[in-house]
Amino acid sequence: KLGHPSELPPEPVPNYEGGEEFLRRLHHVLLEVEVLEGALQCPDSGRRFPISKGVPNMLLTEDEA
Amino acid sequence: AVIGATVPTGFEQTAAEEVREKLGSASRISRDRGKIYFEVPARSLPQVHRLRSVDNLFVVVQEFKDYQFEEKKEDALKHLEDLVKKLPWTDPLKVWELNNSLKKKKTKRKKHNLQSPASREKLSEGGEEGGADQNTTNDQEDCAQNPVAVEPTGGQDTETPQGVASRNGVEEEEDHEQADVKVGEQEGSGSGTKAGDSEAGAGEAKVLRFRVTCNRAGDKHSFTSNEAARDFGGAVQEHFQWKADMTNFDVEVLLNIHNNEMVVGIALTEESLHRRNITHFGPTTLRSTLAYGMLRLCDPQPTDIIVDPMCGTGAIPIEGAAEWPNCYHIAGDNSPQAVKRAANNICSLLRKNESKDSSSALGVPLDVIQWDICNLPLRTGSVDIVVTDMPFGKRIGSKKKNWDLYPACLMEMGRICTPGTGRAVLLTQDKKCFAKALSRVGHIWRRAQTVWVNVGGLHAAVYLLRRTTERADEARPFW
Repeated sequence: KLGHPSELPPEPVPNYEGGEEFLRRLHHVLLEVEVLEGALQCPDSGRRFPISKGVPNMLLTEDEA
Repeated sequence: AVIGATVPTGFEQTAAEEVREKLGSASRISRDRGKIYFEVPARSLPQVHRLRSVDNLFVVVQEFKDYQFEEKKEDALKHLEDLVKKLPWTDPLKVWELNNSLKKKKTKRKKHNLQSPASREKLSEGGEEGGADQNTTNDQEDCAQNPVAVEPTGGQDTETPQGVASRNGVEEEEDHEQADVKVGEQEGSGSGTKAGDSEAGAGEAKVLRFRVTCNRAGDKHSFTSNEAARDFGGAVQEHFQWKADMTNFDVEVLLNIHNNEMVVGIALTEESLHRRNITHFGPTTLRSTLAYGMLRLCDPQPTDIIVDPMCGTGAIPIEGAAEWPNCYHIAGDNSPQAVKRAANNICSLLRKNESKDSSSALGVPLDVIQWDICNLPLRTGSVDIVVTDMPFGKRIGSKKKNWDLYPACLMEMGRICTPGTGRAVLLTQDKKCFAKALSRVGHIWRRAQTVWVNVGGLHAAVYLLRRTTERADEARPFW
């Protein structure tokens, strides 16, 4: 959920390695888009990790460690 | 031309491999540690400058494998003085000239980027005869002439205090370019210098300035490096009629003496290449050449994921991204200052790439995260290479902390690393602690190679470890 129109399918389709259009979009999102401010969210726990100036902070709190 | 290169001690073999790979030449590794020699055609100089494992370059004037120094000091020094006029200076000086013209091209590019006024143009001399009898005229430059240029050193890393300079790119701070030497204008007229085979002086419109740097190692010499530099320098001045100048020199003559091995050379690099990618320093920033050597040791393959979990200012991942762009590099550290510096260094790198192309900056396969080495947010077995400079326990952390930190690090690094094919290259000075920690994780890591290095005067080691095939425990629930 980038809020960035990337038009990626929710999951990789079979034979995704061969789909050039898909690969282009994936490359774009992975390597050409940089999140400067925002957060990463763990899909399991829901825990949010803030991103500031492009750097995510993934240090655990005292309780979590 | 025979080129000599200084490399981080311990990485001579790595540097030799890079030379073979990129220049096709075989290298000789001298017993004087930290130096390699190889032969290349002069036209390969630009490629030589792009080597990433070398700190400094010089062209060899002559090598003496077994020089017998006289026992008495005056005799030994006199012998050195007499040597000067017998040395084959001509060809090496041509290489030096060629090298200068390469440097000037780079300067022009730098100036273009900086858009600074061309304040460095020296007053043109008009190209009359050069030097011998003109020791008085060129005094519009600084007059702080030392009678003889002496560079006292006995030790290893002669770091000329040149400050931070990135090799090809935008430099914020003032660089200290030397005087513009009118090289390459072969007038043919004006044989100002008296010396026989030093035609390099002939075409020059200006008297060259020089200094001699002497490194001496060995316990049987009757003289010090100071004395050798002084007397050798005196003879050089006599022979070429150059002007001695310790700070603003055109030619740096190198006199390297290691027991009975002696090499006379002319420097080709003025700023040490080893801090090339870093603009924001931290307290223990690693030399880029050392970072390169460590990365080469892991033999990165295209698509490898390479992680530095204690990256500090990011020296290693940045070098990695520059030289192995087909790998993905991840840098992490727990310290907010470190992470900030690493991010800034990456920005500088991006800006550097930007100025070359007119279009938008190309991305770099590199990212920074703030994390805890003992709880890495990375999936088990997902990383191919871990490479890092571990806290020595001197400037960062403490020896006591290391007792707990090192084993925890090795465990976590073992978890994220791919069983069987994964490897780690770790630099540390706390060898005792490391050995103990390693003995506890023998089921995950196997020691493959050790390189003994010198880091800021400390005797450190670089360990190459291979990940065993044994799977690590799965990650803990909160990830």
